[in-house]
Amino acid sequence: MRDTSSSKFAAAAGLGITLGAAFLIMLLMILIMSETPGKTIYFFFAGPWANTYYLGNMLNAAVPLMLTGLGISFAFRASMFNLGGEGQVYIGGLAAASLALALPGLPGILGIPLALAAAVGAGAVIAGLSGLFKYKWRTDELISTFLISNALIYIVDNIITGVLQDPESNLLVTRKIAVQYWFTRIMRPSNLDISIFFVILLAVIAYFYLYKTHQGYEMRMCGLDPEFARYGGVNVRTYFLLPLLISGGLHGLAGAVSFMGTQHMLFKGFSGGMGWNGIAVALIARNNPLAVIPAALFFAYIEAGAKSAMINADVTIEIAAVVQAVVFYLITAQALYSWIDRKHRRRSA
Amino acid sequence: MTPYLKMQNITKVYPANNLKANDTVNLEVFKGEIHALVGENGAGKTTLMNILYGLEQPDSGAIYLNGTEVRIGSPMVAHQHGIGMVHQHFKLIQEFTVAENVVLGMEPLRGKLFFDRRQAEQTVAEVIEENNFHLSPAARISELSVGQMQQVEIVKMLYRRADLLILDEPTSVLTEQEIQRLFKTLRYLAGQGKTIILITHKLGEVKSISDRITVMRKGEVAAVRETAEVDEYELSRLMVGKRIMLDFDKEVGFCSEPILSLQQVTAARKHQDRPLLDNISFSASTCEIVGITGVAGNGLSELEDVISGLMPVSSGTILYNDIDVTHMSAMELRKTGFSYVPTDRLKRGSSLASSIRENMIITNHHDYLTRGGLLDGKRIESHVEELIAGYQIDGRAGMPIGTLSGGNIQKVILARELEKVRDLVLFAEPTWGLDVAGSEFIYQKILDVRKRGAAVILISSNLDEILAIADTVIVLYRGRIVMKRPVRDDAVLSRERIGEYMLGLKDDFSAAIPAGAGGFLERAAEEGGEGYSR
Repeated sequence: MRDTSSSKFAAAAGLGITLGAAFLIMLLMILIMSETPGKTIYFFFAGPWANTYYLGNMLNAAVPLMLTGLGISFAFRASMFNLGGEGQVYIGGLAAASLALALPGLPGILGIPLALAAAVGAGAVIAGLSGLFKYKWRTDELISTFLISNALIYIVDNIITGVLQDPESNLLVTRKIAVQYWFTRIMRPSNLDISIFFVILLAVIAYFYLYKTHQGYEMRMCGLDPEFARYGGVNVRTYFLLPLLISGGLHGLAGAVSFMGTQHMLFKGFSGGMGWNGIAVALIARNNPLAVIPAALFFAYIEAGAKSAMINADVTIEIAAVVQAVVFYLITAQALYSWIDRKHRRRSA
Repeated sequence: MTPYLKMQNITKVYPANNLKANDTVNLEVFKGEIHALVGENGAGKTTLMNILYGLEQPDSGAIYLNGTEVRIGSPMVAHQHGIGMVHQHFKLIQEFTVAENVVLGMEPLRGKLFFDRRQAEQTVAEVIEENNFHLSPAARISELSVGQMQQVEIVKMLYRRADLLILDEPTSVLTEQEIQRLFKTLRYLAGQGKTIILITHKLGEVKSISDRITVMRKGEVAAVRETAEVDEYELSRLMVGKRIMLDFDKEVGFCSEPILSLQQVTAARKHQDRPLLDNISFSASTCEIVGITGVAGNGLSELEDVISGLMPVSSGTILYNDIDVTHMSAMELRKTGFSYVPTDRLKRGSSLASSIRENMIITNHHDYLTRGGLLDGKRIESHVEELIAGYQIDGRAGMPIGTLSGGNIQKVILARELEKVRDLVLFAEPTWGLDVAGSEFIYQKILDVRKRGAAVILISSNLDEILAIADTVIVLYRGRIVMKRPVRDDAVLSRERIGEYMLGLKDDFSAAIPAGAGGFLERAAEEGGEGYSR
């Protein structure tokens, strides 16, 4: 007989081993690739802490990852797969930017909530479409979220480089949004802004929603065992739609938050893997909304470390991608293993 | 004469529930023979055949083919030895053609790399023709009837040059005509020198098709007989055996008010000629336990799904307290206060990865909201603790239910379902896999529910259980009610007599077959056709 606390301990230990192994592999790679491994390792680990600029930027990079990680956690908790995060982030950013550019005279107190609402709405509608297809025709959301999102990326690209493009710039960017839409910076000279507090608060609310409300309970039961939920009188089909709406909304929000505090404009490809990295973050966090916060920070830390090592030593930025990939593989293998283990136990029980 | 196949002292224990599925079993089958392997559910027939086909390994014992010992480590090895098996549930790829399915795994190749479709279709066509099947090699599986799919499975084995064919419950999904065609095929194949083992529990079929019979009971061989020398009554006695009757104090309450009644309920599945449930009518009243029994595959699980609202009804009406609930979903039914302990405890009855606490509040979780709309942790906790203590569940509220024993999982489900009984409970196979103490605990709970005035429907393939606690017995055979009598009716209700109904030897409700002794003769003749005079 196994206790919850001991299985939680085992899970934490497993995560520790995974992260440890990832760092070891990274050290090994630095030793192979770098001419000055001591210097590279120093800048990799210490670089992000060197000054407020690096630290703030690292924290700032973690904010959208927290949102996409939360979004994926919601979908996964309900056993719904959302592979369209990238497109939902993209459309969310576009919605917020379009609103801000269309209403440049609005005061911030009205404009910011409206822009964020537009972003949430756009992401939710796009992901919700897949949920609706599943609700109506049992379409596999794994495929539909991915396809819709991929098609969308080209459309948004076209709008950014077309109607919204800044005529005074040679870059593929939109005009800047009006100043009152900008998020307040809190750690100058870095890009970190106040949104980090709201996002952490959102993670806490998400945790509360999943574990303390009856809707969250039903959602989790549908995810763990849909037949049990149906037998218990839960309207299972509702939970084809709702988790994707929430997931898409959070992704859309990530799109808005990622530019309203930093560049204040959209550039082509601004989502830059946020959607995909959200899946990795959710996997590390085991779909626990509170654990998403450190998981996103860890991800941002690796990227910031690699950047610092690249600037100050002789490795390329790709090392970050490699470490993230290693973590991703190990985590997925671990998740897969525990899934097989659970299946096995179910059969032998 | 050396037997073609000899399985000697085969023993197989499942350590998970310490069940001896096969206990020093001996089986001898001769070349060109159709050998029937009969027994109740759980008698060990399928385990024995899975061992022969290499799907499972015996703990001890040996297998001889033509006198030489063979070790069958996997189905692939079984194929090499000429052993083929047709499973009860077909393993075919719907989108592939007949030929593609047949050659799958042993595809003819062109240039050692490319799939040679023409060669495949030609070879398969030859096999089909040689054995008098009526199939087109180019037809897609999804276009075929159930009977044709079974033919594809047999062709698949013949293509692999199987000399020994194992068929697991081959008739359970077939119509009468399809059964006749199958039997003709089997006789033809036996005439060609193939050896056939037929797993079944339908005695009429055994009589009409087989040459010899091995009867299994509780993991052991109960008897081996020449088919010609045994009648179906003796077979049914050999299969069922004599068992200790459970004795419970059956104080019958004041029964009168019908709570749930089914009127001519029929449930059919697309592409299947025979309905799963055929014109079912009965009612359950206050203080009454209606026991519904039958052999697996005859409609018990479908009836469970229909009553619980998880399977749609094709025609007929279900009334619950005079309200029409025929087309209500499980969710709506639950809101009316319907309690239900399902057969499938692990998937339907519980969510294994969730805690005992989370498993105990489903359906009622709306009752535990605070004024703010959140789940009230404190109230849930005290309620769950109360149930854990009251039902003597060996576990703590936060533990995942999957870590509990089967008996304790069932107690959690009972606790959840019985705490809020209004006037109707459906129990399906409530003691399946439980030990004596666990079973008695559950019987006591069922009797308590009746004492409190509720109507109880008990669906169970365990006849001892039905006879011990039910007030009315209903027997299903091929989706129809073939018997409905009060348990007090001592003249009819011996275990053996009910067994005859369960096996389709008797039918109180069919005009074509007169009730009473001797009814099986007409029925067997009708089913078996020419085979019976053989």
